Amino acid sequence: MAVSEYNQEMEFFVDMQRCIGCHACEMACAECETNGQESMIHVHYIDRAVSVQTTVQVCMHCDEPACATVCPADAITKDNFGVVHSANTSRCIGCSNCVLACPFGVPIKFEESELMMKCNMCYDRTSAGKKPMCATVCPSQALYYGTREEIRKRRPESVPVNTFKFGELEVKTKVKIMMPKGATKIIVD
Amino acid sequence: MYRLVKTLNRQALVNATVSIFVVIAIVIAGSRNLQNFDAALVAYLFGTVFAVFGIAYRYSVWLQRPPTRLYWYRSWQFLFSKNFIPYALRSLKLFLRNILLQRFIYPRGKLRWFGHLMLAVGCVLAFAITIPLTFGWIHFTLDPNSISTYNAHFFGFVVTSFELGTPIAVITFHALVWCSVIVTIGAVIMLRRRLTDGGLIATQTFEGDWLPLFLLIAISVTGIGITYDYTFLQGRTHQFMSVTHAITVILFLIWLPFGKFFHIFQRLAQLGANIYKVEGMKRGMAVCPHTKEEFASITHIEDLKNVSKKLGFDFSLKNGGSHLDLSPEGKRSALAKAHYKARKESGKFFG
Amino acid sequence: MAKLPVSVDKIIEQFGPHKSYTPKEGFEGNFEPDKIVKTHCCFCGMQCGIQLKVKDNKVTGFEPWMEFPFNEGRLCPKGVQRYLQNNHPDRLLNPLKRVEGVGFLPIEWDDAMEKTVSEIKRIQNEYGNNAFGMLSGVSLTNEKSYMIGKFARVALKTANLDYNGRLCMVSAGAGNKKAFGIDRISNSWSDLEHAEVILIAGSNVSETFPTLTHYIWQARDNGARLIIVDPRITPIARTADLHLPVLPGTDSALFGAILKILVDNNWLDKEFIQNHTSGFNEAVNAVKDYTLDWAEKVTGVKAEKIQKAAEWWGKAKTSFLLHARGIEHHTKGVDNVLSCINIVLATGRIGKPYCGYGTITGQGNGQGGREHGHKCDQLPGNRDITNPEHRKFISEIWGIDEKDLPGKGLTAYELIEAIHRGEVKGLISICFNPLISLPNNSFVREALEKLEFYVSIDFFLNETARHADIILAGSLHEEEEGTVTTAEGRVVKINEAVTPPGNARRDKDIIMELARRLGAGDKFNYENSEAIFNELRIASKGGTADYFGITYQRIEENMGVFWPCPSLDHPGTPRLWEDKKFATNDGKAHFNPVPFREPSEVTDNEYPVVLTTGRVVSQYLSGSQTRRIGKLVDQYPQPLLEIHPELASKYGIKDGDLITVATRRGEANFPAQLVETIRKDTVFIPYHWGGKQSANQLTIGTLDPVSKIPEFKVCACRLVHTGIKASDKLKETAYQSY
Ligand code: SF4
Ligand code: SF4
Ligand code: SF4
Repeated sequence: MAVSEYNQEMEFFVDMQRCIGCHACEMACAECETNGQESMIHVHYIDRAVSVQTTVQVCMHCDEPACATVCPADAITKDNFGVVHSANTSRCIGCSNCVLACPFGVPIKFEESELMMKCNMCYDRTSAGKKPMCATVCPSQALYYGTREEIRKRRPESVPVNTFKFGELEVKTKVKIMMPKGATKIIVD
Repeated sequence: MYRLVKTLNRQALVNATVSIFVVIAIVIAGSRNLQNFDAALVAYLFGTVFAVFGIAYRYSVWLQRPPTRLYWYRSWQFLFSKNFIPYALRSLKLFLRNILLQRFIYPRGKLRWFGHLMLAVGCVLAFAITIPLTFGWIHFTLDPNSISTYNAHFFGFVVTSFELGTPIAVITFHALVWCSVIVTIGAVIMLRRRLTDGGLIATQTFEGDWLPLFLLIAISVTGIGITYDYTFLQGRTHQFMSVTHAITVILFLIWLPFGKFFHIFQRLAQLGANIYKVEGMKRGMAVCPHTKEEFASITHIEDLKNVSKKLGFDFSLKNGGSHLDLSPEGKRSALAKAHYKARKESGKFFG
Repeated sequence: MAKLPVSVDKIIEQFGPHKSYTPKEGFEGNFEPDKIVKTHCCFCGMQCGIQLKVKDNKVTGFEPWMEFPFNEGRLCPKGVQRYLQNNHPDRLLNPLKRVEGVGFLPIEWDDAMEKTVSEIKRIQNEYGNNAFGMLSGVSLTNEKSYMIGKFARVALKTANLDYNGRLCMVSAGAGNKKAFGIDRISNSWSDLEHAEVILIAGSNVSETFPTLTHYIWQARDNGARLIIVDPRITPIARTADLHLPVLPGTDSALFGAILKILVDNNWLDKEFIQNHTSGFNEAVNAVKDYTLDWAEKVTGVKAEKIQKAAEWWGKAKTSFLLHARGIEHHTKGVDNVLSCINIVLATGRIGKPYCGYGTITGQGNGQGGREHGHKCDQLPGNRDITNPEHRKFISEIWGIDEKDLPGKGLTAYELIEAIHRGEVKGLISICFNPLISLPNNSFVREALEKLEFYVSIDFFLNETARHADIILAGSLHEEEEGTVTTAEGRVVKINEAVTPPGNARRDKDIIMELARRLGAGDKFNYENSEAIFNELRIASKGGTADYFGITYQRIEENMGVFWPCPSLDHPGTPRLWEDKKFATNDGKAHFNPVPFREPSEVTDNEYPVVLTTGRVVSQYLSGSQTRRIGKLVDQYPQPLLEIHPELASKYGIKDGDLITVATRRGEANFPAQLVETIRKDTVFIPYHWGGKQSANQLTIGTLDPVSKIPEFKVCACRLVHTGIKASDKLKETAYQSY
């Protein structure tokens, strides 16, 4: 209802190799007004026994969201800005289809409340022209929210990529991952 | 959704048509060939029939979507299995807990739960009263042998009688007023949340979230208005009150299949999802190759592979496995590893 | 009589630590706060800017402060959760009195003050002024640090005042004073941005100063090479260009060897050495035998790696060397620091853009707090308490006779030793939790139990205060206006967001009242914090840490001013030494010879494994604040013993097994965490917890002869398998320090 000040010049860039696993993003995410003190971002070790490598995962806001497609209750929608929203609370039946189908492992099912919630890129903030909480606080800027021009200048050796290959399947997303120069896609298999 | 409605759906049309005939049939049966039908309520009846048509239509369309169909099919399959009794009991329990008492909303917020419960209880009670009235199933007559005893008829049979002025009479004749009050309390609580919760403020829409509340309040207020009118104004504004009330109710009925209120009918699927989960667990859990932990039932994963493939998401990998075999954490790790590998191969972590 | 009055369980039940969380729908009023206050995070020397939301005199949340230049909204998890220390159920709302067998009971301020002052007087009359000691801390603002320095000397009239900076970066301070004459990092962080080589020794930057990571990553984006010296592969080391996994206690050998390589290859700035330094030859002479082979043997770092590090460092045009507690917490902490400074001076890369050196100060006000006189040997402006001129200068400002100004007192750990010996009988502490933060803490406990009177000023009942006779309910960071100096030397403003709840008082008011009752009221007549700061400005004038030109207004207008700032029209000094005029007697930077020596305790057959300690990202120091914030506790609920799988296999240790770690000081049980990210001969335990899971039960209380810092970072231990898995109970209760 509030007049949206969504700035579509601003984009979300992720570089997991910069992440220091501090969990600041996770704690800040819970502060986002849409999330009711629950965190929607995922930070974890890949394999602590061998490395301190962590990964961080926000919703990639797919062009064609698998989560929404497999939802039997039509609870997940993508808006005009390309933001894929949390499950509509009145519709979600808590089946977890989206949780299991999202290729990036994003949605979270809250068992008690039979509800799926997910990252909506801090819609309360982004729609008011602010940066999402996680990318604001991230001390390593593994999560970066800014213009394409800014990131190009700041990270001259990397390019943003938003095409993912899972076997034959190609998924395109609104959120970008910073890859070495020359890369056009990320192959996950 | 709208995309689906645009081109009318054959199957759904058939289902919807059948269901209105069913409605008409039970109206005729219940009102003893319209003998007991209250002509003043005919507008409501039309509204209801339209709503039934819309709901049946939309429900049918909804059920045709592969994931929904799968759940629908699996729910009945698992329910009518050799475990019928435990599952039926379980469903009954969950029906009481989550559909009637809506306990699943409680963890999302106490006040929120209370507000919603008020809305739901008020609406359901109101339906329970008005639909039989509209359909002519229930009507009241003055006992021929008395000037103050009323007989209540159901399907034409006298089921009870009571004295005018007794509590039961007050409750019966004012039941709708009580419903209105309850609904209004609920709606006000929910409105307040929508005004003060930053998250809701950011994501709500007028037609999706505010309009339904306004509509409920309008119905309640005009409904209370009718009673107010004949209690305090000697029916002077009866015409106005009953017309505005009728308009709001009919709007509500017409909108029922399309707007937010459709969730009332979708909500039942939650019971199916629960049986699906329980039976799935019984049949065996899938273990994530990355985390080495159980994360979902094998049935669920396999069903999902099929369903998503039908919907254009084929997650099969070159090695013969599927990306869906990984748990959410496994999937995130797979992406991180792929990224790590790409960075490593480039010889540089930063840039 | 400083024993626990009742069982520890009872104390915990009443005073915590309890974990606090934000309610599901947020704190009441957070969406429409009364005000949003610009201030800083209190949990490390970065002092990230943050805005606190306030409703009805309670902090209900935060909003990033995007304009503050250092962090531009970035925060670590402690910063994000910082607001939860306010509004906390454990908050002390009244002064408390110890009652044997009952616990702690609330009393009137007047009684608490009366009791405190009469005990001070009694002890001082009976045993002399110095028998009453004071311990302070550098989470306090500059104003309070200054005031406490003055309070101890002028009101309490004791020489025995020291602070917890003694466990922090005093080795760096001492080294810096020797080499440069000023104890401050030489550059602001922005000079990291275009440094070609960044060498970080003994600093787990990503966990202890997370927001500094951004500057390092930025430098790498600009092509910098990152070298990390650390026995563990920390998150900052994981992707570093070079990681030197040094054996704890051998840093100076490593840097000595590097100096030798620089000299041998002539990677030197001869001009700089010649004109602006002294002692080069002696320093080189001291390392003449430190060949690569020798260094590899001593430090356990592969010779090629040392060679490469030296080469990168030697050939770079710009560079930045940073170190922290990892090399400072040693009996040769000062030596380690000096060995680092030697390689900086040899290459002349200081006092120029993108060329810097410094320690990364740990505590919230670790920088400012160590400059204005609550160190046992120091007077404001980083003056020397043994220097007659300095004494005279300060005595005049304080309006006392120079003869009445006490001399140099005992350092923090020595003070505990003196208590243990029975020489010091009474103690007042503020912002210090030595029972967790000092080494060999069973010894510390014994000492506390010998005190005749102990009074603690704090806002939570910390583990040490459980032994107190009187507790004075003081103020939180956000309850009192003041300034702090960040690790880069920027003086910033802490703003009062709320007033102390209940009957709690501002620390300043407590100290003023005590001073008044001790008969020094006229010397402590401050209307507000700004008045204290203005006195501090004058007291620091002409000292090495000169704040004279800094005012509250200038700080607010510029979002901080870098000291030294000697006059009101001086812009402040983000980068030191641009004029190459060092603050030493001869105006030159000093090389110092650093011959290698072993740590105070080395491994042997009985204690064959090296034990080192450190921190985790979600906790701050002794945890008195952060062990009360739910999510921070949950992120890393209990201390784990990090151990390499190869070492573990020798003892049959599996992940999650409960292991007894024993040293000559004591023993304690920790769950094992098998990780390949640590040296095979070293184990690591983080130290933020008290009671049975306190790592400092094991560490050694030997001190650096110059800085008197304890050797937290290396001692010898023995591992014994308990034969069982660690229980969940251990994990769920660790934060309570039972
Ligand atoms: S990343 Fe996952 S949750 Fe986000 S839009 Fe895509 S499928 Fe949905
Ligand atoms: S805040 Fe940034 S560095 Fe910290 S865990 Fe999140 S993504 Fe990683
Ligand atoms: S880096 Fe330090 S100052 Fe910044 S938020 Fe974290 S603890 Fe606070």
